[in-house]
Amino acid sequence: MKLYAYCLADDIDVLEEPSSGISGAPVRLLKTEGFSVLVSDLDADVVQVTRENALAHAAVVRSILDRTTPLPFRFGTLVTEQQLVNYLSARKPALETKLAEVRGCVEMSVKIIREPAAHESEPDENINQGAGTSFLAQKRREILGGEQSAAQATTISTWLHEQISSRIRAEQVTLRPTEKLVLAAAHLVERAKVKKYRENMAEACQSRPDLHFLLSGPWPPYSFANIELEFKTQFGVS
Amino acid sequence: MSFDQLIVTEEWEETDLSLLETLDHVLNRGLVIAGEITISVADIDLIFVGLNVLVSSIETAHEVLRKRQTE
Repeated sequence: MKLYAYCLADDIDVLEEPSSGISGAPVRLLKTEGFSVLVSDLDADVVQVTRENALAHAAVVRSILDRTTPLPFRFGTLVTEQQLVNYLSARKPALETKLAEVRGCVEMSVKIIREPAAHESEPDENINQGAGTSFLAQKRREILGGEQSAAQATTISTWLHEQISSRIRAEQVTLRPTEKLVLAAAHLVERAKVKKYRENMAEACQSRPDLHFLLSGPWPPYSFANIELEFKTQFGVS
Repeated sequence: MSFDQLIVTEEWEETDLSLLETLDHVLNRGLVIAGEITISVADIDLIFVGLNVLVSSIETAHEVLRKRQTE
């Protein structure tokens, strides 16, 4: 029997409401090293990525978001109790620092899609060119298009930052994470500033009809929970 | 799930986006206890429905599996 770990927090003594997690197992608190970790038992070696399991993981982490700001574990974190205790013991200073960084905040997510203008996707007008010339022309369009997209993503990222910089404590921005996305940003926002943040984002969306925005939140600070694997060798990872 | 300011283009269903955003967060991010992520994507086709734009979670899931297979 292993433990499935959902998240950790530093100021939870009891779970106010019994909840169920992956495979319907009851969620409980494991208190060690000054941390409270939400876990459930799981008799498996692999966690299936299903709609139900993903939503169960998210729901358990979210269940304490009104009371505190937890550090979520990544989906699929399946460990023995001893492995978890060792991890918390070895990473205690880093985890305490990370908890302090996110305390009192939530994560807001922004994804931006920019549809290319009609003239940007038009093929070369010379349809009588040979196969080699056509191939090279296509390559040229791809290279120039890539450079333009990179420059546009940087410009839009700078613009977005200017819109909400006074409302955020930290941000994680990925430029062009996929072909269609200009950028994906996660903003760490103090709870008291969420309303103003939303107002600023609404104004920003209205001012850029050329962009499509996907805004969601508040989330637990998934994007701000990563800790560099400075102890890789201890856990047998090269 | 909270999508207070969700802006949905006509070809997307909000439920699909909710699931995709959830997957994007829970699969891509969060604390990692090295070597202890054990997932399977046998049921992953659920999230392809109507979603051909925001596929970072799918890409991550396949990347994780690919790395595991080569280890």
